[in-house]
Amino acid sequence: MSGRTQRWTSWAILGLGFAFLYVPVLILMVYSFNESRLATVWSGFSFKWYGELLRDKQMLSAAWISIKIAFLTASAAVVLGTMAALVMTRMGKFPGKTLFGALITAPLVMPEVIIGLSILLMFVSLGQMVGLAPKGIASIWIAHVTFTLAFVTVVVSSRLAELDKSLEEAAMDLGANRIKVFFLITLPIIAPALVSGWLLAFTLSLDDVVISSFVAGPNSTTLPMKVFSSVRLGLSPKINALATLMILVVAVAAFIGWWIMHRDEKRRKLDMQMAAKEK
Amino acid sequence: MAAEVSSGTKDPARADKVGADDYLRIVDIRKEFDGFVAVDDTTLSVRQGEIFALLGGSGCGKSTLLRCLGGFEKPTAGKIYLDDQEMNDLPPYERPINMMFQSYALFPHMTVEQNIAFGLKQDGHKRDAIARRVDEMLTIVQMTKFGKRKPHQLSGGQQQRVALARSLAKSPKLLLLDEPMGALDKKLRSQMQLELVNIIEKLGVTCVMVTHDQEEAMTMAHRIALMDSGRIRQVGTPDEIYEQPTSRFAAEFIGSVNMVNGRIEEDMADYVTIRSPKLEHLIHIGHGVSGFEGQEVSFAVRPEKLSIGKTEPTQPHNKAEGIIEDIAYFGSHSVYHVRLANGTKFMANFANMQRWASESLTWNDKVWVSWGENAGVVLTS
Ligand SMILES: Nc1ncnc2c1ncn2[C@@H]1O[C@H](COP(=O)(O)OP(=O)(O)OP(=O)(O)O)[C@@H](O)[C@H]1O
Ligand SMILES: [Mg+2]
Repeated sequence: MSGRTQRWTSWAILGLGFAFLYVPVLILMVYSFNESRLATVWSGFSFKWYGELLRDKQMLSAAWISIKIAFLTASAAVVLGTMAALVMTRMGKFPGKTLFGALITAPLVMPEVIIGLSILLMFVSLGQMVGLAPKGIASIWIAHVTFTLAFVTVVVSSRLAELDKSLEEAAMDLGANRIKVFFLITLPIIAPALVSGWLLAFTLSLDDVVISSFVAGPNSTTLPMKVFSSVRLGLSPKINALATLMILVVAVAAFIGWWIMHRDEKRRKLDMQMAAKEK
Repeated sequence: MAAEVSSGTKDPARADKVGADDYLRIVDIRKEFDGFVAVDDTTLSVRQGEIFALLGGSGCGKSTLLRCLGGFEKPTAGKIYLDDQEMNDLPPYERPINMMFQSYALFPHMTVEQNIAFGLKQDGHKRDAIARRVDEMLTIVQMTKFGKRKPHQLSGGQQQRVALARSLAKSPKLLLLDEPMGALDKKLRSQMQLELVNIIEKLGVTCVMVTHDQEEAMTMAHRIALMDSGRIRQVGTPDEIYEQPTSRFAAEFIGSVNMVNGRIEEDMADYVTIRSPKLEHLIHIGHGVSGFEGQEVSFAVRPEKLSIGKTEPTQPHNKAEGIIEDIAYFGSHSVYHVRLANGTKFMANFANMQRWASESLTWNDKVWVSWGENAGVVLTS
């Protein structure tokens, strides 16, 4: 095989891979602009279904609930996840550290059904024992924090682990106590990781169906739950429109996360080159 | 060994400025990591205003000892006193000690000015007082033009200056330097070594530095503590450590040395002779040593203390005949590797200026190496 055909083949394989990943999404996006009520027959371009979507009160309120939950989840998960990451990377050795680390990250691999079910059972028994079980949005929020926490912890602790410890030591050496060191040095430096952890938690919470379905009450139907139930009544192009919007939101969030992480790095590299040249 | 040793201070006038003899006292400090002894019952005193180097190979515990001073490691046992105040229970942020880290540890999200101001801010000084002090520090390290830059916009040497300014801004009682030249390339190193010493001396701050580079310790420090596996082997001025090593380890660690083993044959008050199985002639030392007849000792002599020539020296001792096996050219001087008939090797330095003036020596020439009766030292440990 000549070098040329070889290159050609690798391009073809790459193309096939991307097609496999994205053609379904593209089809969905294209059909969201379909005039026809039938999801599979193209009859002309229109924004009709986007209009319908905006008039669907139930859908909108579900979307609002979802965004609220995702926002609260991401915020709480970042705070708790950062605390867990600090314990893992800064507390030195303590008995049970390995176990603690394993337990924190276990939800990454645990089936969602099990997480959902166990949280539901916990809420139920809480209700029976003390008569005080979180309901509706609060219950989904708590459930989402539990599973997104693991992701945030992983993102933040990998950043903390690569953070030069002597930065924190230097700050302490210069007269800052541990709390000041955290807020003046550690936090600003790991901020990009916190932002991307927050966005990750936000998107995870936004598109969760399984766990939400277990713990949701009557007045807390999230957007994915609503989509799921309406699809069971038959495909509507409205759902395509909704899905397209969601993809847009998630893609923008992911892009912002990526951009924040890489902007600093890129600028730093450029500056470093300049400093080297100048000398 | 009562040879006069000159004071090792870099600046002769400074000898009088050096204050209290035990400004910093390290008493029986011991540090264990899970049973592994990194620093072993070490006792040291550092004078006020002195630049003191902890010198040793990798893993000898010098960084650990320095980190104990900074408060980043808690000693397993022992006490640290600075200016008669006990340091042991003070956290790093309450010690009047500042450290320049090997990686410089400049805060990447702050400008040069903010970095230098950080410590002053923690002390709650007034804004304009801080600004003035920052300017002052920038002037001292000649970085006034770079105050608004971020650390990653600076070259390695510039970063080092900022790190130094930051650690000096609070006028600490003690400055700690961890491998100060570790991150610089060779050319910059020798320049910065002198500059650092100048700045530290100008401010008169007491300084303990850690290095594995003997040349760096020799250039920068007033006194050196030579460390080996957690213990101090010798403390002295660079001269003393180089000229009067007290152990084989010290002799071999600093510079290069010719070492032969033997036994004391005659032990007199004003001279000693040593018989070595490696040498045909006796070794004659021109002064008494603390030893006894028959004692196993090593004789160490620096290459630059050896003379080399084609004719046999007239003295009856302190000489050996061999052939030139190798010549290493170092610009200002050359090192001749001479092999005796029994395989023992000697290194002799020869200034190249001298080389052209005298007879020319080359590979496989038969030569004599010889040395004076006070050229070497006798080592018993
Ligand atoms: N936190 C730690 N936990 C366990 N062992 C440690 C720790 N810090 C240092 N040590 C061990 O203590 C010994 C001395 O370490 P130290 O860092 O003081 O060496 P060093 O003399 O500075 O060497 P180098 O020139 O390589 O930096 C080493 O054997 C090292 O492995
Ligand atoms: Mg070290």
